[in-house]
Amino acid sequence: MLKERQLTELADIVGEDYFSSEEYMRKLYSQDIAALPGLVHDLLDTSVSAVAQPTTSEVVANLLQYCLKERIPVVPRGHGTSGYGGVLATKGGIVVEMTRMNEIYNIDRENMTVEVGAGIIWGKLIEELEDEGLTVAAYPSSAPSSTVGGWVAAGGTGIGSTKYGGIREQVVDLEVVLPDGQIIKTTKAGIGLFQGYKGLDYMYHPGTDKYQWGPSGHDKPGDDVTGLFVDSNGTLGIITKVKLKIIPLRTIQPMVASFRSRKLMIGALKDILEATRPFYLHFITNDFYRMLGEVDKAPETIGEWIVLSTYEGSDAEVAGEVEKFHHFVSRYGGTVESDEIANHEWAERFYPLRIKRLGPSLAPSEVYVPLEHLEEYLEHLDRHFKGEKYAVEGAIDDLGEVAALAWFLDDERRKISFLMGWYRSLDFIKLGLQHGGRAYSIGMWNAGHSLSFFGRKNYGLMERMKSQTDPKNRLNPGKVFPASLNLSIRFNLLILLVATIAVPVVLWFAGLLVPDLIMAYVPWLMLQDVMSVFIAMVIGLLIGVVVVEIANIVPITFLLAIGAHFMRLGRRIFKGSK
Amino acid sequence: MVSELFKGLREEELDIEPTICARCGFCTFVCPAYLDTLWDSQSPRGKLFQLKDLITKNKAIPADFAERIFKCTLCGACEEICQVNIPLLRFWQLARGEIATLGEWPEIINFIDNAIQNSQNIMDIDQDDRLIWTDMVDDLVEGRVQKQAEVAYFAGCNISYKGTLAHMGENTVKLFSHLGIDFTLLGENEFCCGNPYFVAGDFESGTKLADHNLSELKRLGVKTVVFNCPGCHRAFSHEYPHLLGKEAIEGLEFLSFSQFVLRMIKEGKLSFTNQYPHVVTWHDPCELGRHQDIYEPAREVLRAIPGLELREMKHNRNRARCCGGGGILKGTNPVMSVRVSGRRIEMAEATGAEIMASECPSCTMSFNDGMEGRETSIVFKDLSQIVVEALDIE
Ligand SMILES: Cc1cc2nc3c(=O)[nH]c(=O)nc-3n(C[C@H](O)[C@H](O)[C@H](O)COP(=O)(O)OP(=O)(O)OC[C@H]3O[C@@H](n4cnc5c(N)ncnc54)[C@H](O)[C@@H]3O)c2cc1C
Ligand code: SF4
Ligand code: SF4
Repeated sequence: MLKERQLTELADIVGEDYFSSEEYMRKLYSQDIAALPGLVHDLLDTSVSAVAQPTTSEVVANLLQYCLKERIPVVPRGHGTSGYGGVLATKGGIVVEMTRMNEIYNIDRENMTVEVGAGIIWGKLIEELEDEGLTVAAYPSSAPSSTVGGWVAAGGTGIGSTKYGGIREQVVDLEVVLPDGQIIKTTKAGIGLFQGYKGLDYMYHPGTDKYQWGPSGHDKPGDDVTGLFVDSNGTLGIITKVKLKIIPLRTIQPMVASFRSRKLMIGALKDILEATRPFYLHFITNDFYRMLGEVDKAPETIGEWIVLSTYEGSDAEVAGEVEKFHHFVSRYGGTVESDEIANHEWAERFYPLRIKRLGPSLAPSEVYVPLEHLEEYLEHLDRHFKGEKYAVEGAIDDLGEVAALAWFLDDERRKISFLMGWYRSLDFIKLGLQHGGRAYSIGMWNAGHSLSFFGRKNYGLMERMKSQTDPKNRLNPGKVFPASLNLSIRFNLLILLVATIAVPVVLWFAGLLVPDLIMAYVPWLMLQDVMSVFIAMVIGLLIGVVVVEIANIVPITFLLAIGAHFMRLGRRIFKGSK
Repeated sequence: MVSELFKGLREEELDIEPTICARCGFCTFVCPAYLDTLWDSQSPRGKLFQLKDLITKNKAIPADFAERIFKCTLCGACEEICQVNIPLLRFWQLARGEIATLGEWPEIINFIDNAIQNSQNIMDIDQDDRLIWTDMVDDLVEGRVQKQAEVAYFAGCNISYKGTLAHMGENTVKLFSHLGIDFTLLGENEFCCGNPYFVAGDFESGTKLADHNLSELKRLGVKTVVFNCPGCHRAFSHEYPHLLGKEAIEGLEFLSFSQFVLRMIKEGKLSFTNQYPHVVTWHDPCELGRHQDIYEPAREVLRAIPGLELREMKHNRNRARCCGGGGILKGTNPVMSVRVSGRRIEMAEATGAEIMASECPSCTMSFNDGMEGRETSIVFKDLSQIVVEALDIE
């Protein structure tokens, strides 16, 4: 918990209206979209002490400097639409929410870029660009609510990625505030930033107020390190401005085909990808489509394996691609569905969570799998998750990988089976990796995959920079770089209580069962009077303290790895229980 | 007492909806209340999150949260965009009902409640004065009060009693006369439609008013009721059958002013011949658009006027932003309401139109308030005003 003085000083830095430490606000901003089983909250206390909404890069810099000095952990946040734990606090501290930095600074038609505040919502940016006859080349399906900076930090692919790549391919330059408060432009910072950072050779000029100062940035040229900040989940710095590629606004033509089997659909997907250049190529499995039917969002189609292939370009280009699409669909015995259905599916691209109503909870999971292995992967899933209600969809990116997304229906009110059901999200990824895939996004839950995800070289550079700019790991601890558990006070007390009671009870039993042994070797452990019981309780308490200390350094990733086995077994036992 | 908490939501099986919410946040950036503060506590997503906790723990809504629940215009934008189709409008109404049972209604709603109980209208003015709005058209309404007729005009409390809105009723009456329509007015038997109660979540009190108004209309042999107020219109066409059953409104049809005018055009009874050389942008009132799915009639009417150029705002039809006047926000949080209307006026200005038009007394008040003291060249006009001006009828 922060001290009253710290709260006041933080509010001074960010501005009173943009700062809150009220309880309901703290709770709201300690969440992402995933509902966590109750026990997880006890193992990992995600609560924070306050929420700040900075309005300028300088305020972010001042906030970070202050937090560094006061040893306050900081969790950057866009609009909290991710589900990989990236915005969950692991060591308390404050949330820095970026949605007030939402300006469009510059549209550069010559270089076809746009520079925006990291907190702008994709939907708003797209609308504004449309007025200029422009658009972005890729956006997440959470565009109506997610921030540009959030997608840069979380990473991933989305609408438009089949043709233009994911967010990584869109970012041209970033303005980032490093953990020590320095403001840099990533294109100018140079690789030295990651190799031996000892602070930049420029400093801020203190302003009149204690923590109100601004940068006098003179950026250094050098190798482009922009990419190292993509996917970094705000562990290396808070992104304040983003320069993105843009494209002219041209014809968009969604096409939908339905197929009678998985095999035929996957065959068609491969050919469509090879012979045409879809802007967005996406599929839905038959189970998913049936579930969509249950919520009235599946117009009648001939087959139940649905492919959406959207083309973008000049009218002539699009017409040519559409013709080829027809050809490949018929080659696999598929049906090109009506324009009405195509438009429906295109409009539904923002609504992957429709089926949550059937839950009422959904456990999501996502992994990249090569398109060549998709069929075996889906078959494997069928075997592995037999008896589980789940739906799979996938979008193909520019590398021919499928971003496979699973939704496991569940009910968080059935506490035990919901907890045990967690293994499915972990297994979905594990199986994906077995089929040649890679993690989708790291956040917190996937921190165990960081090394393979970033590659040894890049991960090494990131680690180095982290240890130099943020040695105490205050900026978004537990993300990308695995962190330990943070037991709730309730859980810590429980451990102490159990240990305090357990030790005398065990000793009492031992005294009954093997009294001679105890009297021979450790007579002082024999419970004989009130005093000896008291001593046993003190020993129990001390053991409890040691257990608490050890438990609080167990890496989350370790717990997840071993926990998955127990959860898998537990799910079988407790499925359906309340 | 404890088991009675969230009774309304539980009875309609909506208590599960906060758990169904996917927290995707789509509802945030369309919500005028969220956009006013950019704090999630004010957004539908944030409020659902807090309610989920209270409902599962069976705890009463605290006073500060109750206040936030009333910082909502019931515009329905959240329901329109919702990822999992939560019937949010109904949900917010019932949440307000919950606040009513806790005795935490905002003061202004208690005032309106008392006013309706005392005098059957929201202003607490004598019902004898119900027809005060007809002062300028008294010749046109002579002999029409409580007469048997197939068409009735239901003015509603705002138009009846607020001088600045009387022109809407006057215009409709002028148009009726121009078309030679045999119409009736309920006069002092026109009671509040009950909308303030529906908005505040007290459905029971609204039932008596619904009963009264419907039986009055039936007594006069009315078949078609025309409204300038989408709030009243919605009360009759949606809330009344919900409360009293579909049979209660059998044989009656309820038309917005635009629907009525369009019908007259289509039936060949009305045509516009004069030039009306103005650029107009249309604001969809929430209670007509999103709440009732009526978007096109007004546009068709405007397009039928020679010389009139219709320009759409960026957010139109089901994506239209709220005027700031709904949900009794004007009463509970007048300053916030003006800020919300200011944001909508900005969108209208961006079209370059001379006239911002709509058909709603609440929108009229909001935009007039929003434009007051604002440097703007745009003016607000109700559709009835444009129609009467275009037809040049006195
Ligand atoms: C309906 C729906 C559809 C989705 N579709 C897609 C999709 O198509 N593709 C996809 O990849 N994901 C998708 N997601 C997941 C999620 O929306 C994306 O990851 C999104 O980009 C997150 O943006 P956000 O602003 O909500 O960030 P948050 O969730 O708030 O944050 C994400 C991560 O970034 C960090 N962060 C946020 N802002 C900053 C900043 N300015 N500086 C530094 N770090 C920061 C946070 O600490 C966290 O680690 C979807 C989610 C939903 C609910
Ligand atoms: S009805 Fe309108 S104001 Fe109320 S919560 Fe929904 S979007 Fe916000
Ligand atoms: S749009 Fe619907 S599902 Fe998404 S946060 Fe809002 S209420 Fe919840």
